[in-house]
Amino acid sequence: MSRGGFLVLAALGFALLPAMVKSDFTLTILVFSFLLGMLAVSFNLIFGYTGQLSMFHAAAFGISAYATHLCMTRLGTSFWTGMLCAVALVLALSVIVGALCFRFRLKEFYFAVVTLAFSEMARLVVLNWNSVTNGSLGIILQEKPTLWLPGLGVVTLQGTLMWYYVSLVALALTVLVCWRLVNSWMGRCFAAIRLNDELGDALGINVFRYKLAAFAVGNIIAAVTGGLYAFYLGSIEPGFLSIDQSLAIVAMVLLGGRGAVAAPVIGAIVLTALPHLIHLGAEVRSIVYGAILIFTILLMPQGIYGSLAALGRRRNAV
Amino acid sequence: MGQLILGQLLNGAIVGTLYGIIALGVTLTFGITGIVNFALGAFMMLGCYMAWYFTDGVGMPYPVAVVCAVLVTAFAGMIADQTLFRFTRNNLVNGLLVSIGLISVMEGGALLIWTSTPKNMEYVLPGVFVLSGLVVPKMKLVVFLLLLGVILATYAALTRTWIGRAAYAYAQNPEAAELMGVRTGLLQSGVVVYSTGLAGLGGALYASLYSIDPSLGAVYILKAVEAAILAGIGSVMGSLFGGVLLGITEGVGSIYLPIAFRDAYGLVFLVAILLLRPAGLFTGRK
Repeated sequence: MSRGGFLVLAALGFALLPAMVKSDFTLTILVFSFLLGMLAVSFNLIFGYTGQLSMFHAAAFGISAYATHLCMTRLGTSFWTGMLCAVALVLALSVIVGALCFRFRLKEFYFAVVTLAFSEMARLVVLNWNSVTNGSLGIILQEKPTLWLPGLGVVTLQGTLMWYYVSLVALALTVLVCWRLVNSWMGRCFAAIRLNDELGDALGINVFRYKLAAFAVGNIIAAVTGGLYAFYLGSIEPGFLSIDQSLAIVAMVLLGGRGAVAAPVIGAIVLTALPHLIHLGAEVRSIVYGAILIFTILLMPQGIYGSLAALGRRRNAV
Repeated sequence: MGQLILGQLLNGAIVGTLYGIIALGVTLTFGITGIVNFALGAFMMLGCYMAWYFTDGVGMPYPVAVVCAVLVTAFAGMIADQTLFRFTRNNLVNGLLVSIGLISVMEGGALLIWTSTPKNMEYVLPGVFVLSGLVVPKMKLVVFLLLLGVILATYAALTRTWIGRAAYAYAQNPEAAELMGVRTGLLQSGVVVYSTGLAGLGGALYASLYSIDPSLGAVYILKAVEAAILAGIGSVMGSLFGGVLLGITEGVGSIYLPIAFRDAYGLVFLVAILLLRPAGLFTGRK
């Protein structure tokens, strides 16, 4: 079966899951997995496909979460308009940061460090701009987003089941967009940049433009996720923009696998579900988390998806 | 006001040498093994706790405790090198992520053993010097001079001894160095272990000045990486100057601007340097 067919099947399976699994607990974990999966898939567009280790992803996610809320409370917009404003803001920021980095040809470690510097600055602003962001305490979100559904009219987004479908659809759209992008002529340019950007430049690919495109698209999806995640969780805090959040995204992508568009979702589900399945203290959880990261990189550099795919190929060959 | 500025200058220079000693480890590790070891902050934290444990727990005199703490940290560094970093040589992204995983493991372990409650060591060398109205705690001056001495000694060893020349040769051309009889595997492991030892020393001295908690490494490794890049990665004396420059900027800056921006100066420096002078400030002659 083709990979696309498998994906559609997986999506259908998840869509039918609530009919069998009634446990609110399981569905809640899955909602968080789907939302973090969106982050991981969009990050993989920048990291896995274009080869740029961006540390700006958590910043895009967090800035959008704050901006969506601020638009709603200060300007009185609806949730979706607020999110649109937040996405526009994140787009503008990522074009500035990306243009700066790529214009000056920062690569690998230096790109990671400069994007990290920008996201730390964003975190410091959020942390210290008390009148707007309420500092380290964060904000409890009272508002509930609404959604127009055919046949039902305008409904309020609440309850685990409703959010389950919203996040599943959002994830499916994310995978679809990234899939289309990666398999288009743009995806070819991304791959050329990842493999050897100087050669790509020599062959007439506008390296600057495509790096910026990958960076911007990835951050836009992260921004959409930020709005959804904040309103599902019901609160926002500066930890959204922290280095740890960026690293968690990297860990999800590495664990899931870089080689396929939807593979990071596996990593997101495993890393979100694991701490809840085995009950551990925060300290032990941190150790387990670090150990997973280390052993994935040293023993399973292709991630779970890559290892399974290799296993499948070997069986076919025999 | 003048005294306040002078005081902050001095304080910044002292904190700056602490940044500098970690930055030296970052620079050396990067030059020889091609990875940026973010876990050096965690090794510094280990050095802090070891010094605290050996003095307040075991009851050793402080100087002996510092030596023991450095040895334990270096030993931990050797284990990490042999089990983890040996497999990520010259692979920047993997090395970065493995070292970040190691931070989680070490911080989690420290939280388990020592909990998140900050620990305070007994005062080692109480008393202050008073220099024309400027009050400097004796211990701070000792720490400053010790760290300065270690960095200068490292510089001397790198430029004056056979090992130092081997390291420079390796950094320039690994194959040629190997053909000339440099035992490259040993050199790489040695540098990784030495860097963790330096971090341990920084930590052991830090413990005598400030209270310690398991998450202190995160701040210091970020500042150290900033200092190393500021100076130009690979420059030994540059890591000292970079650290001191950063420390002084933070000290003097917090007189004029809210203290909340303290952590932002290094970031602004970093971005400006990488965009305008990517080779760093102190790598002009080549």
